[in-house]
Amino acid sequence: MDLLSTFANGFAALATWPVALSLLAGAALGLMVGVLPGVGPGVTIAVLLPFTYGMPPLAGLALLLGVYCGAFYGGAVTSILIRTPGEASSIMTMFDGWPMAQKGQAHRALSLAFMSAFIGGIVSALVLALAAKPLSLLAARFGAPESVMAIVLAALCVGRAYQRQFAAAMMMMGLGFFLGTVGIDPNSNEQRYTFGWAGLLSGIPLVPVAVGLFGMAQALVMVSSPPVAVDKTLVAAAGLSARAFLEPFRYPRTLLKGLTLGTSIGVLPAVGAALSTSLAYFWAQRGAQDPTPFGQGNPEGIVAAESANNSNSGGAMITVLTLGIPGDAITAIIMGVFIVHGIVPGPALFTERPEIVGGVFAALIVLNVLILLMLVLSVKGLARLAYVDARLLGLGILALSLVGAFSAANSMGYVWIALAFGIFGFACARVGIPTIPLILGMVMGDTLEASLRQALGRSDGSFLPFIERPMAATMLAAAVLMLLWPLFRRKKANP
Amino acid sequence: MTPGAPPAERALLLALALLAAGLFLATPGLIRPWKAEVPWHESAAFFPRLGLLIAALGAVAELWVRARSTERQASEELDSSAAHLPRALGAVLLFALYALGVPVLGFGVSTLLFLLACGRWVGLGWRRAAALAVPLAALLWVVFVLGLKVAFGHGWLF
Repeated sequence: MDLLSTFANGFAALATWPVALSLLAGAALGLMVGVLPGVGPGVTIAVLLPFTYGMPPLAGLALLLGVYCGAFYGGAVTSILIRTPGEASSIMTMFDGWPMAQKGQAHRALSLAFMSAFIGGIVSALVLALAAKPLSLLAARFGAPESVMAIVLAALCVGRAYQRQFAAAMMMMGLGFFLGTVGIDPNSNEQRYTFGWAGLLSGIPLVPVAVGLFGMAQALVMVSSPPVAVDKTLVAAAGLSARAFLEPFRYPRTLLKGLTLGTSIGVLPAVGAALSTSLAYFWAQRGAQDPTPFGQGNPEGIVAAESANNSNSGGAMITVLTLGIPGDAITAIIMGVFIVHGIVPGPALFTERPEIVGGVFAALIVLNVLILLMLVLSVKGLARLAYVDARLLGLGILALSLVGAFSAANSMGYVWIALAFGIFGFACARVGIPTIPLILGMVMGDTLEASLRQALGRSDGSFLPFIERPMAATMLAAAVLMLLWPLFRRKKANP
Repeated sequence: MTPGAPPAERALLLALALLAAGLFLATPGLIRPWKAEVPWHESAAFFPRLGLLIAALGAVAELWVRARSTERQASEELDSSAAHLPRALGAVLLFALYALGVPVLGFGVSTLLFLLACGRWVGLGWRRAAALAVPLAALLWVVFVLGLKVAFGHGWLF
């Protein structure tokens, strides 16, 4: 009953022109950026973020969520038709989608992918709605030590997700923590690292950093790389098949495997869609019903990968809404919309702004339906976007980056900050240093510092509260285990 | 392949480590007013120093890992393996000129010139560069200057 009223409130909150138009625009943009070569949802969301400031909060969220969800679907088009996954999470779709399309079954492959993604998206939104309230009640019992340990655990999860680049990821996270402290300290009113420059008193803003690191760095790569020759012979074969739309339901076990992994792994910070799609793909190989070998056009490969891929969206939002901890760069930027409008994500959001929470749940449902309808109507034209020269898109992104960074505060200073971070992001990409942890560090740093000061202030500098309180101690143990796990594994491998 | 990170990787990581360590040490001079008598956990320097310490140690650890590795570390986020460095640097320079040009020439003219010049620089023919620059500059001007009233200031032409 509670769930139904949440959804009813959510749908009511969506029924305004600004929100409805944002949903439409976001879904269409997301589909396009999923297909366009080199442009991902991260770049688009970073560039769009400043334009959401003037919108009502739910309209801004709807726009960015639309891009986020639409890109999941769009990525399947290029994976299947031109063997080029736009995102890492679409690689598994390519393994069976491309061979199926080569056999003259492009319609079947696309229909399977879209319907599986649709089921994933709807189930994930329902799971989010079901799980968010109990999780928020648990999170409401968090004191400062628990909040500190939750963020530390999330930070270590992010680091571990980069596997061999753990140290580099932690370095960037630390840098993000530091950058978030520049400006006036809210507790003591001291000026921190401003070098006497008035422009830094209010801190280093998130918008130009995100625009630079994601938008400009990506655009610089696109304009400086030679155009890639891709096999476009199958693009003309884009289309959908009504029969294949129902085919995912013939593989309920595979569908369930994808949905289980997608929704559960989506909750883990930074691990995200790429891991859940690969795990679901390999799990689906066990006990598959269809005799076609995997990698040669098995429909269950597509069903597993796409259902897992799109069911991440709800999972990734759970930690943002209940704990205020973003799981990846995209949800970190989406969290920027909350912050700019003075909305604090976390347990209090459920009581203070129920229309926002319900609106997010309902938006995810509506977006999936909208996107599927758009695909039915426009998949052929959409697939042609894969022809676009990435250099043209890169130039467009550079021009939009200037507008985006400037309009966040009508300041050319923001453009220079974006340019500096764009150069830094490009340099990091050249030498293989991840940049997403820096944004996550900037976003989580504020809460971490406030909670850490509160916890240590109450205990007069003692770390005992982190050990004495059961929930904090459990998270501390998990963090230590996560930190030491590679050492145990190495010792086991070389006794 | 022999172990050891390429010079550019070493230089960037070393620069980041030194920058973080330098800021860590210089913190008392970079926080105004500096309150030395405050307990460490209440100090405004505690958290930024923690971040800097993580950054410096992370950079040193990454340098150490890469010095022992024979494999090159590619970015898992952004594949820049085909990117041509001088072309990217040229685009950065043109973007900087674009940012300087907006207050002088106006948004519309600067955008048009930037797209034309950068399009040529990255290897597009005159026609293709113009086919992108003219409609895109006009569209951005109409949407952001006329429609959304973004105040870029008045320039030479618009």
